[in-house]
Amino acid sequence: MNIMILASSPHVLLSKGAEADIYRTRWYGNKAVSKVRPEKSYRQKTLDFEIRRHRTIHEATMLSSAKDIGIRTPFVYFVDPVATEIVMEYIEGVSLKEKITLDLVLKMGKCTGLLHINNIIHNDLTTSNFINSKYDEIVMLDFGLAFFSERLEDKAVDIRLVKGVFYSSYVSICVDAFSEFIAGYMSITGEEKTQATLRKVLEIERRGRYTRTGGVG
Amino acid sequence: MLCLGIESTAHTFASSVIECSSIVNPVDGNRLTNQENLHARILSDSRSVFLPSEGSGIHPRLASRHHAEVSADILRESLNDAGHCIRDIDIIAYSAGPGLGPCLRVGAVVSRTLASFYNKPLVPVNHALGHVELGIMLTHASNPLVLLLSGGHTMILAFSENRWRVFGETLDLTIGQLLDQFGRANGLSSPCGDRIEQFARKSTGSYIRLPYVVKGNDVSYSGVLSAAKRLLDTRRGNSEFFADLCYSLQETAFAMISETIERAISFFGKKEVLVVGGVAANNRLKDMLHQACLRHSSELFVLPCKFAGDNGCQIAWTGIVDYLSGHNKVDVEKSFVHQSWRIDTVDVRWRRLT
Repeated sequence: MNIMILASSPHVLLSKGAEADIYRTRWYGNKAVSKVRPEKSYRQKTLDFEIRRHRTIHEATMLSSAKDIGIRTPFVYFVDPVATEIVMEYIEGVSLKEKITLDLVLKMGKCTGLLHINNIIHNDLTTSNFINSKYDEIVMLDFGLAFFSERLEDKAVDIRLVKGVFYSSYVSICVDAFSEFIAGYMSITGEEKTQATLRKVLEIERRGRYTRTGGVG
Repeated sequence: MLCLGIESTAHTFASSVIECSSIVNPVDGNRLTNQENLHARILSDSRSVFLPSEGSGIHPRLASRHHAEVSADILRESLNDAGHCIRDIDIIAYSAGPGLGPCLRVGAVVSRTLASFYNKPLVPVNHALGHVELGIMLTHASNPLVLLLSGGHTMILAFSENRWRVFGETLDLTIGQLLDQFGRANGLSSPCGDRIEQFARKSTGSYIRLPYVVKGNDVSYSGVLSAAKRLLDTRRGNSEFFADLCYSLQETAFAMISETIERAISFFGKKEVLVVGGVAANNRLKDMLHQACLRHSSELFVLPCKFAGDNGCQIAWTGIVDYLSGHNKVDVEKSFVHQSWRIDTVDVRWRRLT
């Protein structure tokens, strides 16, 4: 771990996420973020370490894979699968959770579409995982749950999550926001694929509990 | 005001009387019907639970027959315990869904009969909403994230703009179904949660790997169930192995829920979490949720075990607040039951939270 001592400086806690703590640090003089997945006391030890290790390695890989297809993601500087830590680029900007506009939602849709036509499923598409950087580009974060899949089902689950987030947390604009998101998504994936995905979304919702006609809201 | 609540969505037929007084506004003399100005007292809480034979689940026809058979006794008991006769009752609330059709119909028939014969207002109540509202009333949580875990629901709810909105839920099986169907595969009878918890406690703590499926804010249990059942088939009759499997099933399923609730807490920044529903009686689950909440300095509100499962109080109480908010009362001929009735389609006018 000598490399760590040389390269990084003391950590300052920026935020406590659901599964990881985000620290602000420096990496060879650059502003950086350290994302550490701490042990979860409530989770069975074997299960817990397996999940954390897997997600750490996975996230680093997926951040790069997403970058390959033209999605702006933070640069990964360092990965420690044992300490379950990733050191990555610090992105200056505003989270879409802090400030959301229909224009930004459209961009969210475009990014998601781009991921999906390249068979990357993000699996945690909440507004807090998008940053509008100070250079006015959308940066996507948090690929810990992401994976590769060609299945329509997986893409539809991704879209359903976005719908769920809008309908539960942005109630006043949810209909416009979701259709704007789909407009952005469709501009990348095309009408045919988008409609097929939306049909699948309805199918998944009907599979859910107590849905009378299918669909949230 | 006295409200009689009748519950019959699944395995439980229950009846309860709740007395509620509202405060009079000293300025204009109007009664304040906001929830915080209501004082409720549970006068009675009678129930009878349908117990299926070993290895089987809740058969709707058998369960509804059970409900029909016990209904008169349970009703009488709840009125006697409350020390009131039916004429004293001001409103009658019944669980109108979601649930098993035949079972719901028994409760509805009893309620309709009473309402029309004694000429009382009849209030249909969403059963899931009942769990949530009773939980808030009993724990005094002010603006919680709600985790509804039962045989019928596995949902994370947050209140916004007049409704309980679903932030995350199961994509297939509920946590109660997972436990029940696994338990039944080994000859237990529904509800199996308690027995599985006891078996898990006997485990040596050797963890058997099961799928861990979290999709954003949602969970999926169908793969976990298939894997657990397949493993069970490999070493049937081995009680140590079964205990380990129960342990691993609980650890996996509950960790998935705890992770999604952590996601919800950090998304909404809420300081309170309330857990309701039958599965909320599980001690290991409560322990895990406690630790999850602690990490985010949120407080976990847990119902007394007695009120975790289905009961009449949840129906009576929700009936009262709904009735007093001036919105809900149905004519007997329009008092339907709805087997499918999602909580996020119910307008909640009495709650002014964001």
